[in-house]
Amino acid sequence: MNMFLRSLIVLLPVLILVFFAKILLVDDEIKFKDFESKNFPEFSLNDLNGDPVRAQSLDGIKLVNVWASWCITCLVEHPFLTKLSGQNFKIIGLNYKDSNAKAVAWLEKHGSPFLFSIYDPRGDLAFDLGVTGAPETFLIIDRKIVAHIQGEMTQKKWDAIFAPKIFKARQPS
Amino acid sequence: MIGEIAHFLSLSAAVLFGLILIFNFFFYFGKASPNQLVLSTRLFNQACWLVFFSFGIYIYLAINDDFSIAYIASHSNTQLPVFYKITSIWSAHEGSMFLWIVFLIAWSILFIKSLDQNHPLKKLTLLMLSLIILGFLLFLLLTSNPFERILPFGALEGADINPVLQDPALAIHPPMLYLGYVGFVISFSFITAYLVNGNFSLQWEQDIKSWSLLAWIFLTIGIALGSWWAYYELGWGGYWFWDPVENVALMPWLAATAFMHSLFASSKSNVLKAWTMFLGILIFSLSLFGAFIVRSGIIDSVHSFANDPQRGLYLLTFSGLISLFAIGVFAYRLPALNSSNLVVTGSKESFLSMNNILMITSIFSIFLGVTYPLIIESIYSEKVSIGPPYYNSIFAPLILIAAIFIMISIDALWQRRMSFRTFILSILTPTILSVLTIYIIWKITNVFSVLAFIGILSGLLILFSYSIKIITNFIDKKYINKGSAISHIGLGVLFLAISLNSILSYEKNLNLAPGQSIAINDSLKDFSFKSIKVLEASNHDVISAEVSVIQDNRSLSLNPQKRKYTTRGQITSESAIKASVLKDTYLTIGDQLDNGSWTFSLKINYFIKWIWLSVAIMVFGMLLTIFKNKTS
Repeated sequence: MNMFLRSLIVLLPVLILVFFAKILLVDDEIKFKDFESKNFPEFSLNDLNGDPVRAQSLDGIKLVNVWASWCITCLVEHPFLTKLSGQNFKIIGLNYKDSNAKAVAWLEKHGSPFLFSIYDPRGDLAFDLGVTGAPETFLIIDRKIVAHIQGEMTQKKWDAIFAPKIFKARQPS
Repeated sequence: MIGEIAHFLSLSAAVLFGLILIFNFFFYFGKASPNQLVLSTRLFNQACWLVFFSFGIYIYLAINDDFSIAYIASHSNTQLPVFYKITSIWSAHEGSMFLWIVFLIAWSILFIKSLDQNHPLKKLTLLMLSLIILGFLLFLLLTSNPFERILPFGALEGADINPVLQDPALAIHPPMLYLGYVGFVISFSFITAYLVNGNFSLQWEQDIKSWSLLAWIFLTIGIALGSWWAYYELGWGGYWFWDPVENVALMPWLAATAFMHSLFASSKSNVLKAWTMFLGILIFSLSLFGAFIVRSGIIDSVHSFANDPQRGLYLLTFSGLISLFAIGVFAYRLPALNSSNLVVTGSKESFLSMNNILMITSIFSIFLGVTYPLIIESIYSEKVSIGPPYYNSIFAPLILIAAIFIMISIDALWQRRMSFRTFILSILTPTILSVLTIYIIWKITNVFSVLAFIGILSGLLILFSYSIKIITNFIDKKYINKGSAISHIGLGVLFLAISLNSILSYEKNLNLAPGQSIAINDSLKDFSFKSIKVLEASNHDVISAEVSVIQDNRSLSLNPQKRKYTTRGQITSESAIKASVLKDTYLTIGDQLDNGSWTFSLKINYFIKWIWLSVAIMVFGMLLTIFKNKTS
């Protein structure tokens, strides 16, 4: 048995370990992009019922959650969104690259935390928003994007990024 | 106070395991006296019992609603039946880790007992096991302490268990799975001990054979129960989702299956020893990797526990060191392990090794599927999702090649080349029969999908070749390995069921008001939505629909429900399932629309029950094998 193969047997697991250690140590900080008040892009899309969505629906404090029925992580964060909507936060869904029937079925099965969902089968609005995949969540205050989270929405991310901005926005100026 | 006793018992156990290691380390190089091993074994047993007592007290605390303990307060509730108060212990990270360790200790203490006092590998195995147990106990106590108190005042009421976990399946699915995962600690420690010891004339296969077979059974049942639970109770509507956590359970299962095969080969013909050891080390390393993936929160999944990098780092370091140590010793000893007998081409073990390679290939493919999104994310900061199409297209060809090797190997002999005549005879009939059957299936179903038909062909090849072998051997009154034959038939049924399910099943979304009915297709002539009721149960409200269906000229009544749980406000769907031999009718109710009508999702799943039936067949075959191994 040559030396090369023997060292390879040991080296491969070492590489795997180093890779995971790198992910744990380096990529740990919560990923988010801080937009200082960028306007929400203009769009003309319908909701899942086929009614056109009006821009006024983005007035006030709103969350826009990018989701899809094919997205497993969306199912993971679903209970947390449901909790938020139970606490009277207004969440608008952005149904991303999905089929209407599947999206409606998904909402029926798991319950809907959304006021309504914008139907964006080609990902047009999502493209303008700079969405890279589902789920992502945007904090919109008076049609301006104030904060943005990629990946699963958790209590930790909510407390660290969204909650302070909402608190600030609710203070009378 | 009682909680502190349990905490203290676990801490003392950790100290004892530590003492065993230190004590033996200092005396290892000196003259070993028999007393030293006696003392170590005794200490080991006592330490194990401390943990059992500690867990027993923890169950007592959970039953008696001690909400001053943070973990119990956040996962249990006074309103829960006692049964769920107990199962709530393993409904989240800390408690399930505790259970994991209890099982680890249970396997270890039983295995150590089974070894003779003067077994040459007993001491090293005991040390290896102590090290692993100590590592996990420290992980539990330092990073995920289930005994942590809420001070100064405990909670008055618990936060309740997640309603989807209020299910009898929760009582068995995680424990079975953990018993399987952890059971391979035995082959891992024993093989590592053998390699460190370095006396390669020892026969070691027989000592761990039954243990490994048993662990395989638990792992198989655990995985199958999880899939059954997701389908029947959680209403996911399918049996396998290639979820990362399902994948990390499948990897050790594949490794374990390969290990079983080469364990038999290496005890029969003295080849493949190095392979067997490598696989034995690999299984437990993959189990540890699975624990890391699930508990570090590195991957988003329905199964993953809360994200905590500290836990992840500890698990990665500890399991990495353990696995590296074993693999390092393996690589160091490799030249000495190579037996001079080469595998004969065309012998049974040659086909077995081919299938070992195929199983390693599939493990590697799954590993790639699990880690690829992480690699992409860390390089390009983009999220990608790898789904069923990737796995289906990789697995279909691998399965076919494996099925062909299984078919050929049935008539092959250990250590001898099979003659060309036997080879042709053994593959001719099954191949012709399979191709004919495929043609008939194609004519009946009128659907064609390359991947599914590869799967069907693989299943049929295995089924036909084994059936022919059983029948001819029965007529000639020749010996046949019953356990192996039954398990492989189970595998054939599994391939067949999965493939037929994928081409025949369909789904319909309906939208009906109470009193309306609709015709769906020739088999489902009438679907009528009779009425809707609102009921109140002890801890949830129920909306229940009454639907009657005329399917294949039989009338069925279905009652899909939606439940809203009062404590957590969570809404769950209870699907209505009517099962017949060939297919399941699976109905889920959705929301009410503005015009008063309700939406339904109707799924017709073909052969889905056969998937779990096939697993039961495999497990039964494996039980026979254990029984035979014990009596011989």
